[in-house]
Amino acid sequence: MQIAVASGKGGTGKTLLSTCLMKVLGEFNPVLIDTDVEEPNAGLVLPQQATSTTNVNRLVPEIDFGKCTSCGICAELCKFNALVVMPDKVLVFNELCHSCGACAYLCPEAAIKEKEHHIGVIEEAIVPGFGTLLTGRLTVGEAQSPPLIKAVKKKKPEAELRIIDCPPGTTCAMIESISNSDYCLLVTEPTPFGLHDLELSLEAMGLLGIPGGLVINRWQGQEQELAALSERIGVPILARIPFSPELARAYMRGQDPLEAMPELRGIINDIMGRIKEALS
Amino acid sequence: MKEILLISGKGGTGKTSLTSSFIHFADNCIACDYDVDASNLPILLQPQKLMTVDFSAGETASVDEDSCISCGLCAELCRFEAIDSEYRVIPLACEGCGFCARICPVQAITMHARPSGRWFSGVSRENHPVFFAELRPGEENSGKLVAQVKTMARKTAAENAIPLIIADGPPGIGCAVISSMVGVDLVVLVTEPSRSGFHDLQRVSQLMRLRGIKGVLIINKWDLNPEICEEIEDWARGNEMPVLGRVPFSTQIADSISQAQIPGADEQIKEMLFPLWENILKQLSIERKE
Repeated sequence: MQIAVASGKGGTGKTLLSTCLMKVLGEFNPVLIDTDVEEPNAGLVLPQQATSTTNVNRLVPEIDFGKCTSCGICAELCKFNALVVMPDKVLVFNELCHSCGACAYLCPEAAIKEKEHHIGVIEEAIVPGFGTLLTGRLTVGEAQSPPLIKAVKKKKPEAELRIIDCPPGTTCAMIESISNSDYCLLVTEPTPFGLHDLELSLEAMGLLGIPGGLVINRWQGQEQELAALSERIGVPILARIPFSPELARAYMRGQDPLEAMPELRGIINDIMGRIKEALS
Repeated sequence: MKEILLISGKGGTGKTSLTSSFIHFADNCIACDYDVDASNLPILLQPQKLMTVDFSAGETASVDEDSCISCGLCAELCRFEAIDSEYRVIPLACEGCGFCARICPVQAITMHARPSGRWFSGVSRENHPVFFAELRPGEENSGKLVAQVKTMARKTAAENAIPLIIADGPPGIGCAVISSMVGVDLVVLVTEPSRSGFHDLQRVSQLMRLRGIKGVLIINKWDLNPEICEEIEDWARGNEMPVLGRVPFSTQIADSISQAQIPGADEQIKEMLFPLWENILKQLSIERKE
């Protein structure tokens, strides 16, 4: 089973929920995959022993100037303006290239080869007693995260339980992160910001047809608007994590949230019960 | 004309609370929201929309089923797994590279402009011009939409001699953030004293160094963790990044957000935040002298 934990708005508690899911469900030896590759945080709140680091590359064009006739076809066909042909040379902008391979395939002089361009790493670590943590970490300065998200999600497909800690937002990176999941948990907060961004992430989730449910974090009793949205879209509220300054303080210090708020364990078990019910 | 951008790396540190308050404190400025996929600044500024413009960046392929001979070349060459087993395009996966349209032996594939979102101009209740956008869920090209919003804001500033743009930035360090930073005079980093807040701050400041952009720091909710707060301040000193101030955890700010009000419009909150704004103005005048 693969469960994605997403949110729309940042800072609503995705990493809190995904790491607690991992800890409470430790008996299934889960794999937690941090696909917030721009700012991966799951590793900061879990005790771990690093086991390996793998480089992730994508392909970008390399011009053989011995063969290139500056015909200009590559620049003309590249939709991303990653190639600029000048009378005596061709400029390649790696950061604009989407690695589609069209230029190399279609160059009439076979003057374009593809070479590896480093975009980040996958860090693998054992979280003793609870499973495995896979972290995608984008190299600072790289603009595109989806190729790295794709790569980190390809690891450990055999695991019985995979938990995806997704990036904020509703763009291609979020879609790539939640895709092929069996269930999507959307973590929100009862504020106008949380509500607005939740609506957008529900739309993104709906595009993929993944079933999902809501978890209200920092709940303080007020939920009329969230309840109305849940009713309207037909996505249930699975759980409420009460607002607690003690939990916020403990979590900020890197302490175990399950110790700071013991009832969190019951809440997580309820969420899992509801997910299993929904998928049966 | 000067442009100030607030970013944080980590989401939820309080960028929008502070941005809206600074916009409230500035007499003459343009407000911008570069968080185009989860735009929250307009929730507080409540602008009256003056203009809505469709935005399209990039293309999507589509296969004409009548002409397709099911040779499978497109599916074989597509790197994005965007052609399914019946040789139809999966729009969410298609990146619009046009490779398939080029190589289809019977020209059954055409490329179409892809609606990516919309951008808006408006006027806030406090009479500030506001520029913001909505990227369609699941779309890429957020960087291009940010650039579009920025271009319109700068044009309006130049035409109307407005001296300042104050922009709320997106989280992360990817394309939207890189695009937000272009041409900015001062980046204000908003962090919180947690391990993740500090970690994300270091990554975003590394990006700023790569781009040669200077930043100043505000530590929000500092009293939730005074130890890490001091650690962050030590780090800032070591990196020659001025710390403009600390903001305590405040239920008043939280309350004003839950009522969709600009926090700085409240007199008590203003007392807390106004000194930060004065420090930002000081920093801008230092930049000017340099």
